[in-house]
This record gives sequence, structure tokens and C-alpha cells, in this order.
Amino acid sequence: MLILTRGVGETVTIGHNIRITVLSLKGSQVRLGIEVPGEVQVLREEIVDPGPEKPVEEK
Amino acid sequence: MMHEEQSWKAVAEIDQAEVFHFPQGLVGFPGANDYVMLNSGHGDIVCMQATEQAEAAFLVSPWDVNRLGKQPELTSDQKKCLQCRNETRLLWLLVLNPFSDPAWVLANMRAPVAINLDASLGMQCVQANPELDLHFHWMCQPGQSNQAA
Amino acid sequence: MIVLRRKVGQAIHIGKDIRIVVTEVESNTRAHLGIEAPIEVPVHRLEIHEAIQQENCAASQGDARAWLQEAVNDA
Repeated sequence: MLILTRGVGETVTIGHNIRITVLSLKGSQVRLGIEVPGEVQVLREEIVDPGPEKPVEEK
Repeated sequence: MMHEEQSWKAVAEIDQAEVFHFPQGLVGFPGANDYVMLNSGHGDIVCMQATEQAEAAFLVSPWDVNRLGKQPELTSDQKKCLQCRNETRLLWLLVLNPFSDPAWVLANMRAPVAINLDASLGMQCVQANPELDLHFHWMCQPGQSNQAA
Repeated sequence: MIVLRRKVGQAIHIGKDIRIVVTEVESNTRAHLGIEAPIEVPVHRLEIHEAIQQENCAASQGDARAWLQEAVNDA
């Protein structure tokens, strides 16, 4: 696993057309902005791998 | 792991029909993953041409340890991408830019290309050191007076 | 742009093969992002990606063979 450190407003590129930006940081919480081509699915891990809770439909 | 023999000898020996696969392609050229090395008649500059995209053609030159010092090192992710083992023969190339500066041919020291000669794999390996120059003055443009290589 | 909030230890999946996990947050200044992707997927800081892309494009914008021919003739 590659670990990159980014501050607020900074961005990581993944492949040729995916970008992840750190929009804000508060305590241990990060708001991430994710740009992907239209057909690519972006899901919270809990949706993909729900564990004991009921999964929530996510776009 | 890296052999210290003269790199340009290795370049001259590359079969022009040999295709080198770049799993990650080159930054800015998605879809161009396979390249051939075309010899030019110029001793140490080779044209690296994508087989599937005509515009993806790059002039490259082998890393000269006498001039530039020790060859770059691969990170563990880069080694994985290139399938490198201890004895793997590696060739380091600099991407040259003869088009941006009227006086100088520039070399990108920040992102040299590594070729795994045994597996015919290649990768543009971004170096962590932020001081490495993307626009290194590699040689004067042909026809420029002022000289001494 | 899709906006998602993640806490340390939480992750996002992009497509089938890419996973991003927040491994650490440094006192409201920096986030450590762990990125898992197949080996053929390059991962870069944006500013590096753009600098290298710009230089690669500049290096390939002209006729390389023609320039080489001129260089050979000049030698």
C-alpha cells in the first residue's frame, strides 16, 4: 500500500483520470472530494463490506 | 543490482523490433503502453516510439554515470512494477526535450525511464528528491556555437 | 465531484480495484492516505503528475526524427 500525505486543498492522482482531494480536516475526520469518470463506482467501504449492519444504497 | 557497464552499449544492442511494455505507460499518454527503440545514427540518442500512438515519441539517452553520478534507485513499488530481481539487468534512460529551449536540449532528471532488459518492461520512475531538475541542461542545441561537451 | 467524509481507519472503494484508506490525520494539517491499486495504475501527487505530464508533452510535441536528423548532420 502506498501512503501519500496531503494537506487541505491538495490532490492525489490515481491512474489517468481519477483524482482525490483533501477538502477539509477536522480532528480525525477528513472530507475527500473524488473525481472519477462517469461510469466508475465510488463506494464507502462499509457498503462493499457491510459487516453486521444493514447496507445502505449508495450512488 | 544495477550493472555499471556502459549503458549506451546496451542501447545500441537493443533489437529495434523488441517491444518494451510499460505497465503504467508514460504520464500524460494513457493508452500508449508499448514502445520500440529506434536507432537514429546519433551515437547516444534513441527514439522511443509508442507502437499504438504516433505522437508518443520520445528522444531518450542512457544514464551516463561519469557525468551524472550514480544511477537512480528503484522504490519497492517501482521494482514490483518492473518485476525486478537481484540480478535483473536495468537500463536507465533520460527523456530529452529538444523543443522547449532554443539554446539547450533539456533532460528530465526527476522522472527517468528504467528498462528491465530481461523482461522487456519499462517504467517512468518519478524520483522522490524534489531538487532534481525537470529541465536539466543536457547539451547545447545543434548549430549553437559555444561548446565543449 | 463526489464528497465523502471518512474517519481514520475508514476506506473508499473506486471501481473494482482501487481502495483508499485514511490511515492518519495529523492535527488538522495533513491526512495520510493509503492507496491500494493494481501495479499498472500510477499514483502521484497532483503537482508532480502535472509537472511530469507537461514535460513529457513538451518533449514529444515536435518532430523527434527531424530534430535527430539535424543533430546527426550537425555532428
